[in-house]
Amino acid sequence: MGGKAQDNMAEDLNWAVGGEAGDGIDSTGKIFAQALARAGRHVFTSKDFASRIRGGYTAYKIRTSVDQVQSVVDRLDILVALTQRTIDENLDELHEGSAIIYDGERSWEAEIPDEMTAVDVPLKSLAEEAGGAIMRNIVALGAACEITGFDVEYLDEALEKRFGGKGSKIVENNKEAARAGQEYVQENYDLSHLGYNLETTDNDYVLLNGNEAVGMGALAAGCRFYAGYPITPATSIMEYLTGRIEEYGGHVVQAEDELSAINMALGGARAGARSMTATSGAGIDLMTETFGLVATSETPLVIADVQRSGPSTGMPTKQEQGDLNMALYGGHGEVPRFVVAPTSIDECFWKTVEAFNLAEKYQTPVFLVSDLAMSVTEQTFPPEAFDMDAVEIDRGKLVDEDNVDEWLDAQGHFRAHAVTDDGISPRAIPGMTDGAHMSTGLEHDELGRRTEDEEERVQQVDKRNRKVKTAREREDWDYREFGNEDADNLVISWGSNEGALAEALEYLEDDGIDVRVISVPYIFPRPDLSDEIEAADETIVVECNATGQFADLIEHDVLTRVKRINKYTGVRFKADELADDITAKLSEEVPAQ
Amino acid sequence: MSSDVRFTDFKSDKQPTWCPGCGDFGTMNGMMKALANTGNDPDNTFVVAGIGCSGKIGTYMHSYALHGVHGRALPVGTGVKMARPDIEVMVAGGDGDGYSIGAGHFVHAVRRNVDMTYCVMDNRIYGLTKGQASPTSRSDFETSTTPEGTKQPPVNPLALALASGASFIAQSFSSDAMRHAEIVEKAIEHDGFGFVNVFSPCVTFNDVDTYDYFRDNLVDLEEEDHDPTDYEAAKEVILDSDKEYQGVMYQDENSVPYHEKHGVTEDMSEIPDGAPEDAMDLVREFY
Repeated sequence: MGGKAQDNMAEDLNWAVGGEAGDGIDSTGKIFAQALARAGRHVFTSKDFASRIRGGYTAYKIRTSVDQVQSVVDRLDILVALTQRTIDENLDELHEGSAIIYDGERSWEAEIPDEMTAVDVPLKSLAEEAGGAIMRNIVALGAACEITGFDVEYLDEALEKRFGGKGSKIVENNKEAARAGQEYVQENYDLSHLGYNLETTDNDYVLLNGNEAVGMGALAAGCRFYAGYPITPATSIMEYLTGRIEEYGGHVVQAEDELSAINMALGGARAGARSMTATSGAGIDLMTETFGLVATSETPLVIADVQRSGPSTGMPTKQEQGDLNMALYGGHGEVPRFVVAPTSIDECFWKTVEAFNLAEKYQTPVFLVSDLAMSVTEQTFPPEAFDMDAVEIDRGKLVDEDNVDEWLDAQGHFRAHAVTDDGISPRAIPGMTDGAHMSTGLEHDELGRRTEDEEERVQQVDKRNRKVKTAREREDWDYREFGNEDADNLVISWGSNEGALAEALEYLEDDGIDVRVISVPYIFPRPDLSDEIEAADETIVVECNATGQFADLIEHDVLTRVKRINKYTGVRFKADELADDITAKLSEEVPAQ
Repeated sequence: MSSDVRFTDFKSDKQPTWCPGCGDFGTMNGMMKALANTGNDPDNTFVVAGIGCSGKIGTYMHSYALHGVHGRALPVGTGVKMARPDIEVMVAGGDGDGYSIGAGHFVHAVRRNVDMTYCVMDNRIYGLTKGQASPTSRSDFETSTTPEGTKQPPVNPLALALASGASFIAQSFSSDAMRHAEIVEKAIEHDGFGFVNVFSPCVTFNDVDTYDYFRDNLVDLEEEDHDPTDYEAAKEVILDSDKEYQGVMYQDENSVPYHEKHGVTEDMSEIPDGAPEDAMDLVREFY
């Protein structure tokens, strides 16, 4: 039992439901998370799951507090265990104050360490009485409400949302099942010694995961065409858009493979639609074939890579930030691109909007790099975090029939790859008179026609690279910052580790360790951290991969060795664990220069 | 769309680098005529080309065009047409591009039945890489990489299309200019995926499937009392390995193109200046 005791941290509760895949674990957890959000509590969820439809251990974990929560921790307070394995898998996180809800009438004999509180509830029998054994998880939710001092009525709205489509009878049965669980615990157990009493507030939060935020960002940004091929963990972006994008006149198409998906999206973009594809793992390898074409034909395209553990098939349902070099350097030849990596779930929304603007302003592919942890994690936010009035659309140098003349050559040909001071050429979309032009993956002249002329080649390469230079000057490539700005210890991270780092600061502060955290959402172009690193005594770069791909970049940028914390177990960083890692790393010798 | 468009309007001022006598000249001319005859103009036409000799077509034609990655021309055309149902989409490629590296896309493009036209310049050889076997090369055709022939049966693209659920299957010969243009025209006018396999002889590397060979052996289905709406008759012609045919082999009169089945009718290039008006509803869904 390595879990930290609750000590004086913010009053958070860590709850989980676990069982076999196919047991309805996910929807049970989601219902509880929604109920907590309805009650004005913040929620941060995580999932343990395997790449299979049925069988195998799976769990849905919730960390909740009245304050914002943005990380998981190594502690589990309440566990609904549908199998013994659920208990065994979580022994490290369970502690003497933990309560475990299980069904003693089931065939397995629950082995629960003596110091923990075993709450035996006849889940199946009570569910049957309420209308069907299928509701046993809901009975468990009711029991969890009683243990945590959480009003069972908060479950009602979540149950209506989940089961409303199946008729009012089903909804009522589920409400009854929840109350049966709550009453059973109330009548048979005195759990006041546990001291859980979930406070509620008047706030009302929305609950969403990173992929939903990406999908919503795409819709807000005017994305109208999405082509993709199913792959974990990117598929839920496609699923989110399906059924919603049509409301705005758009379409989602499931391609025959990723080679096709990116080419379809490329076609949509050439036709003038804001277009997107998303993938992961081997899918990004396949898409790399077309990446150079997107860049050299100067097509605005957003390509989301929801990273998972690699290489090859790797651990398809596990976390990793291993694709950074791929996003930066993938493809033969020299391919100008932008690489943006949102650092939190709400930022998944905003960075997606920004990715579409960058793509069109600079007519360049934009890699939107997220990861598995962020894609499946659900987190609460006030709805204002997604203020749609703040969404700005910039379509760049799109020409129309009034100004197309400025961009025609003496023969009346449209100069789609005109060499300009800022590197950005005019863009004409099909259907516009006098805009007809071709583009190609071959090196080309200003008209988009093949050339091997040395001067033209150099002009076009320079012009494409100049777009990146222009973007460096015109855009804000800032980092996000937490902790003490003047601290001697600097911790740098990219992508989804931000939440765990921000919370690790609290643990470190308790131990008297002062840290400045810089969280970088822009990988290319990226902020220059030379001054920040110089001002610090120690710099540690934290990332979920084995080799330290971002640390390599930082060292390259500032020509200074940094310390590294790398996690590649397939599990995301946890705030308390990260605090321990940072403490240990600070006491290590500084690497040789 | 203006009514006075001539086929030469689809011609760019770039001189083709195809070998003198290459079938691709005739193939391209027929495509341009068919586009003009069906009321299209360069500004509402999008040509997608693959890689190979055939892929150069985008450079020699004048229209909106993309010369893409080897084998992926059909997906690009699919994306263009879905985003812009108002645009005429013409996809061109060779037998290597379409039936080898792009064969997977061919099957699915046929199934999807997107309303576009696909002309494959089939010369039964890899020309641009100087004479290797293609998927439609005869099994005994000797090349630098297959000195004793491929010893494999050639792909029958028409049969592949039929098996994939095609709604329009045709074959033409680049040298029979009028018929070729007529057949492509029918493919353009077809409601759905109009597929034309065009015999487009390579005068440099293929001394078997020559102009003379096709002139001597080609059977025109128009002279054969063939009913293209008769699936069984189409099957017979397509699977007949003893003869080479030109004409429309099969046309499904009840073809419903992708955009109609899926209600994809909007011009997706037009979007508001900010988030959609009701976009906060998307946020509220997450309550």
